[in-house]
Amino acid sequence: MTASAIGANTLGVLAGCMLFGALAGAVGTFVLARRRALVADVAGHAALPGVALAFLAGEALGLGGRTPWLLLLGGAATALLAAWCVPALSRLRRIGPDGATAVVLAGFFGLGAVLFSIVQGHPAGSQGGLRTLLFGSAAAMGRAEVVALLALATATLALLILFLRGLTVVAFDEDFARSAGLPVRGLDLLLTLLLVATVVAGMQMAGIVLVVAMLITPAAAARNLGGRIGRVTAIAAIVGAATAAAGVLASRAIAGVPTGAAMTLAATAAFLVTVPYAHFARGARA
Amino acid sequence: MNAALAVDLPALAAALLATIACGTLGNWLVLRKESMTGDAIAHAVLPGLVAGFLVTGTRSVTAMFIGAAVAGAAAVMLSTLLRRVTRLEAGAALGLVFTAFFALGVLLLESQGARQIDLDPECVLFGSLETLFYAAPKEAPWYTGVPAEVWTLAGAAALAVGFSVVFGKELASLAFDPAHARLAGTAPRLVERMLLAVVSAGIVASFAAVGSVLVLALLVCPALIAAPHARSVRGQILLSVVVGGLLATSGYLVAAHADQILGSRTALNSAGMIATLLALAVPCSHLVRAAINRRSA
Repeated sequence: MTASAIGANTLGVLAGCMLFGALAGAVGTFVLARRRALVADVAGHAALPGVALAFLAGEALGLGGRTPWLLLLGGAATALLAAWCVPALSRLRRIGPDGATAVVLAGFFGLGAVLFSIVQGHPAGSQGGLRTLLFGSAAAMGRAEVVALLALATATLALLILFLRGLTVVAFDEDFARSAGLPVRGLDLLLTLLLVATVVAGMQMAGIVLVVAMLITPAAAARNLGGRIGRVTAIAAIVGAATAAAGVLASRAIAGVPTGAAMTLAATAAFLVTVPYAHFARGARA
Repeated sequence: MNAALAVDLPALAAALLATIACGTLGNWLVLRKESMTGDAIAHAVLPGLVAGFLVTGTRSVTAMFIGAAVAGAAAVMLSTLLRRVTRLEAGAALGLVFTAFFALGVLLLESQGARQIDLDPECVLFGSLETLFYAAPKEAPWYTGVPAEVWTLAGAAALAVGFSVVFGKELASLAFDPAHARLAGTAPRLVERMLLAVVSAGIVASFAAVGSVLVLALLVCPALIAAPHARSVRGQILLSVVVGGLLATSGYLVAAHADQILGSRTALNSAGMIATLLALAVPCSHLVRAAINRRSA
């Protein structure tokens, strides 16, 4: 990619990262409310084997290994499979949710490491391959990647807005949702879908290891500021968009810093600013 | 020494010692339902490791070890503090803290240390078992050719086993009946903190050689594989280490010789292969137990 192409792409990348940040913040609010933070961690790591398989499939089909929609599809497939495995495994005696989460994460990411080493040994994988997907790289995103991110993020955001009421009721009053006849299981499944879509939309930019931070940290910051669910979701989206943009700009300014690490640290800084507020606001109320 | 053995033996020794260190301690984490704390520590030690290196300027094992152990323990305490101040649930607080620590570690590694410290972020995740080899010394005694990682892991394995033997009774009563442990006069806080420190030490020692994925797999899977078959805590620990060791050995051999065994173009990532086998063995072990129960019933 030439320097002018990067310049022409900058606006697209910035728009893509802000849309992703806003989506991650909004979805993250519901993920935190349903106590699914570690499922998001599993989904991120579990995208690796799917992405590596998609790379190999793309090479075998002659589409090229880094075909964006194929990578997204592969990552989403294994991430969903892992998200299904966690409750299935935790139903076994003596494993429990905590152990099941750890086993599924380790197993899928381990399989991902094996497939990743196949990709890196592949003739087409030696020039870059999937390395930038581990910690994210906005600079490595071409036009096709940006378009795929914008499309997926827009669709996910639309789905979230469409089902906002149902998701809100389930997240904050499960008993009421049940008695009101809402399909609690269906809405939980929808939340898992939104979570996985957000994770794979952001993996090129934030990286599969740290993408979970964009789901947890901006939403946690917004919760610290308090207020009704609509307000918290909106603030989380704004914090997410702002910190994602800060991360992309920082990783561009300082050579060698992966975008995912920069985004995570920007979001953590935003969170730390809100901690005293949470502490004192609660003190004042009590 | 035979060239193949010079590569395979140190890597196998490292994998087995890591299995003893992490596998033993993992039983306590699993019994206490703190598996994901292990994952958090495995990520959080990174900035301490790099900072230890940057401060001393050498790849001194002690400095990196102290830095990493401090970072691991600090991350867990910070997440507890966050839960109290902001009312985040446990999982979210852990996730928030460990991603921040890990991101800081990656930042330090990429911006300062990468070239000098000879540890790239990929190795941090996937380990570098493949790069351990025995360099036969010309004049010095034979053991000076053993890679430093193996010695560190041997120390960690000894610490893990020693700790579990000496404090086994306290740890068990703490895991099964915390209220009783408090009444019986054991100092639960102290034992808990010691467990945290020993787990951090075991993770740090394993981290550089086997990577964060395999550390998590070794902490959690052997204990969960052994759990349905064991009748006592001691039996569970012994069984977990034996089964974990067998799986680690076979996983390493399959991955390292994948070009001959599986017909792949190159060798495969061995830490990933071991982690995959360990994770698959967990549901298998439970299904076997269920089948045995059904037959005897």
